[in-house]
Parts: sequence; C-alpha cells; structure tokens
Amino acid sequence: MRPFFELLKKIIQTGVGKTRFLMAAVGLGIAMLLILIAIQAHSNFSQLLYSSRNQNETADFLVINKTITNAMMGQSAKSIFTPEEIATIKKQPFVQSFGLVTSSQYKVVVQAPGDLHFATDMFFEAVPDSFLDVKGQDWKWSEGDRTIPIILPNDFLNLYNFGFSLSQDLPQISQETVKALPLQVNISNNQVSDQYMGHIVGFSDRISSFLVPASFMAWANEKYGMTTAAGTSRVIIKTPDPSNPDLVKFLEDNGYTTNQDKLKFSKTRLIVQTIVSVVGFFGLILLFFALLVFSMFIQLVIASCKREIQLLVILGTAPKQLQRYLLRQFVPLYIVIGILSLLLVAGLQYWAARELAQHEMLVSTWPGVPVFAGIALVLGLVYIVNLLTVRKYVNNI
Amino acid sequence: MQIQLNQLMPIPLQDKLRQRSSDIWNQDVTFQPGSLVKIKAPSGTGKTTLIHYLYHIRYDYTGKVQVNGQPWQSYNKNEIAAMRQRDISIVFQDLRLFEQLSARENISLKRVMEPKPYYPAEKIDEMAARLNVSHILEQSGKTLSYGERQRIAIIRALVQPFQWLLMDEPFSHLDEENTQRAAALIADECKARNAGFILTDLDNDQHFPYDVHYHL
Repeated sequence: MRPFFELLKKIIQTGVGKTRFLMAAVGLGIAMLLILIAIQAHSNFSQLLYSSRNQNETADFLVINKTITNAMMGQSAKSIFTPEEIATIKKQPFVQSFGLVTSSQYKVVVQAPGDLHFATDMFFEAVPDSFLDVKGQDWKWSEGDRTIPIILPNDFLNLYNFGFSLSQDLPQISQETVKALPLQVNISNNQVSDQYMGHIVGFSDRISSFLVPASFMAWANEKYGMTTAAGTSRVIIKTPDPSNPDLVKFLEDNGYTTNQDKLKFSKTRLIVQTIVSVVGFFGLILLFFALLVFSMFIQLVIASCKREIQLLVILGTAPKQLQRYLLRQFVPLYIVIGILSLLLVAGLQYWAARELAQHEMLVSTWPGVPVFAGIALVLGLVYIVNLLTVRKYVNNI
Repeated sequence: MQIQLNQLMPIPLQDKLRQRSSDIWNQDVTFQPGSLVKIKAPSGTGKTTLIHYLYHIRYDYTGKVQVNGQPWQSYNKNEIAAMRQRDISIVFQDLRLFEQLSARENISLKRVMEPKPYYPAEKIDEMAARLNVSHILEQSGKTLSYGERQRIAIIRALVQPFQWLLMDEPFSHLDEENTQRAAALIADECKARNAGFILTDLDNDQHFPYDVHYHL
C-alpha cells in the first residue's frame, strides 16, 4: 500500500487551507484539554468528597425540624411533622435511614447530689440506638431499673465549662467527673412523682439533646405521660452526603432546617460543579466547531482535487483506498493531539495532587480512568465524523 | 471474463445510428474471453462512447453491458475498482495521464494500485526500452509529446493484470516503427496473460492477427 500512497500524496494535495487545518487542530487540542480537565476535576472532587482516605466517616447524621417562624409562635402543633411529611422524608433518595426523635411528655427535674445545690428543670428525648455516636454497655434500660443512662450534648458541657463556670467562678468539670456524678432525677406528672438515679454515660456531638434510651422513653411516656402522644417535631436522618444539593433544596423547599454548618459545603460544591460544567460545556462547543472545520477542510481537499480523484477512480482506485489514504493524512495528528492533551492533564493532575496534599486533601497523582475514556470518546467521535465526511464526499465524486 | 452487449444503444446518438446498420449497436454481441477484437468505425459513430460503456464510465445508453453475466450496474464501486485493477485495463484515446507525476510515476500508479503488484518495478524499464521511451521516464507528464504520452499510457495499461485490454485508437500519435513496437509489446503481454483485447480504430490495419472484426 505504501508506494501507492506515496503517489497519491503527489496527486491529492492536502496542502490547501493548511493553516485552517492547523487552527482547527489547535482548537481540537484546547477542546480536548477543557473536556479532560472538566472530567478530571469532577473525579478529583468526588474523591475529596467520598473517598475513605479523606473522611473518617462517610455518612452523616442530620437532625431535621421545621423552622420556627414568627407566625408559628404559640402554635406548637405547627412544628409537628404529619405522617405524610414523614413518609415523604423517608422516601428521599438521600435518606439512608430515618428515625423519629421522641420527646418526653412528663416533667423532669435533675438535682446534683450532696451539697452542690444544683437543680434544674429538664426534658428528655430519645432516638433509635443506631443513630447514636455514643456506644457503651451502660446504654441500656429495662423495666424495673432505677438508674437511667443519659447522654448529654457535648456542647452542653462546653457551654458550662467555658461560659457559665468561668463567669460564675465555679469549677470546671471534666467528662469523667460528670460521668461519675450520681444525679437525682425526679420524674413527675400532675399526680405522681418518682425518684430515679441518673447516670451520664456519654457526650454526643451528633445530637444536641438530652437523650435517654428509647425503651425507657416508651415506658415513662406510658406511665407519666400527661398528654396523648404529642407527635414528632424532630426527626433524624442518616445521609451519605450532607453536601448533596438535592438535600439542601429539599429542606429549603419544605421549610425544614438543620445544623447549617453541615450543609455549608453544599454551596461550595455547587459552585465548583457549575464551574466544572461550564468548562466542560465550552470544551464541547469548541469540539463541535473543530469537527465542523475538519469536515469543511476534508470537503475542500476533495473538491479541490476532484478531477484527479475522478481519474484515479476511473483508473481503478477503490473508494476504500481513497478513504484510507485521506484518513491517514489526518488521523495521526488527532492521535498526537490526544497524547499531548493527556500529557498536559497528567502534568496538571500531578501538580494539583501535590498542592492539595499539602492541605491534607488526597487525590490520585495520575489522571483516572474517566480521563482515558474521555480521550477515547473524543478521538472516536473525531474519527467517526472524519470517516463519514470522507466517505460521503469520495462517494459523491 | 465474458463481456456481452444486449441491444446496446447510446441515447445521444440514437436517431443517427438507427439510420445505418451496425455490427454492435442495437445487436446482441458476445466477446469471448481471450479473443482479439477489432472494431472499425468511422468518426462520429460512437467509438469512444462504446469503449467508455465497456469500461463503465459512461451510462447514457439503453440495453445492457453484461460482465460475467451481470450488468455493470449490479456491481458496487469497490467491486468495479477491483475489476479495473485485475481484470480490465484500458488505453484511453485522450490518454489521461497525471501531469503532476513523472512518466514513471504515471506507470507505477497502476502497478502499485493493487497491494500485490503483478510485475516488479524493473518491468517498467524493460517495457520503456522496447517502446523507446526510457529517456523520458523521469520527465513530468506535462512536458511529454503526444507520441510519448501515448506510449506511456500503453505501458501503464500493461503493468497490471488483465483479461481484457480496451484500446481506443492506441496508435493515433505514433509513427509506423513505434506502432509496430507497441503492437508487438501488446501482443506479447496479452499472450502472457491469455488475455483478449478490444481495439477500436478508424481504418483497417495488420498490426495484430485479429480473431473478430466488427464494423460499428
């Protein structure tokens, strides 16, 4: 085949509009680079978000309640989730598991032992055990037990230690001390009042409430409950990704609220995603125009050599041979462009990985599989468009 | 390879040709493989048209041109190309060389068009020597005289395999001596392949031992 192609090279001048072709090639290179960067940025971002190397725990827990507005004040029923609303929340794709926060329907007064002279009105809440970040043997209650295990919010102890105690000239207390304190818990309704021992078993970062085991809560609500079941005004969900924009949108749309701090990342993520999408979009547009110019260039080459190609066909050159020859003139350049963009992206990725590693954000040093797939896809597309153009115009001669 | 004509009639010459008798037009004619066919035709009776129909580069006719029992139209472009590389060769009246190629390249083009060339490259020099054109092989097609071009076109037609060689006034620009040399080379090459040819010309001639004569 080679000597024949050597002769074809002298007959079919591909030199016409060479500058245009090179411009289109540069365009293709930039397009490919933008697309690959978009793909790689996307996969880097996913790595930062989901990879186990960057997170201790992948899932996160959110306590959700309705936003209290001025209009709702004094009507506590309005902050209660209806069964339909609960069903809707459960159905959401980002809800991995779901639990109700049950609140106490009785009065609680907690007293410190001895002569500490500390007593406070309080409330209890309970969540299913699987939502707790405090695990321990002490966390159990069965009917007849006089000791109630209690989990306090970590923030509560912090408020006391760093706010209250300092201003009141009271001693700061360690977690161990609090756990060792035997508390006296008075549970009452309007008729009866009983005394129990309270035992702090842990501190929760996850749920900002005074928690008791669900089994105790059910029993005590039954025994001391003053009202009929009040309904649920707080629910807890487990979600694999609290920065999921769908989640944030769902909360906003329904007037729900949660610990905003956990959602903050969502905005950053949305911005990054938008930028990445815009970059990828421009890449695609550029790719489209590059393809257009390539097609026009091929058309120009074939049109400018129409007589020569006609004579070649008359002499017995197969359209297949012409197609192969023409594609061979262009395709190697595309492959070179593909390799160059891959090298550039690899360089960028290496640099980005090193920069990010300094901030303890770990991404892989080499471009991932999606980038290679992207190159293959773009090159495949360019090849197919070229092939179709060549075939069309060669067959039309 | 058998070539068969069924009631072939060129549409543009229809009226003119119906008024005179012809051995080819509007007849059923079969060219037997390996036969040396001479078609004598006065000017304007469609000599070149017939060659183009046989080679399937003109299609404005009624009737049929059948190759191996199939009309030309039933072959696709790649099949036709393969036949032009292996089964049918041609010397055009208007020669049709590439001016941007040298004489040698013009010949080589047909030699290497097929992935496995029929002849080695040296064969070109051998044939060029027989036709007295060795000295112009490296010249560009543009600078050649008609006689030289005609001989290059003949050599080009002979460096490929074929079963049929179509020639349209192949010696029109050659003197007697060169005609003899060219005819001898063509006869040798046809014999080597057991191939036949169809030659059209204006007059009678004794260049070949023809098997069949037709009057167009």
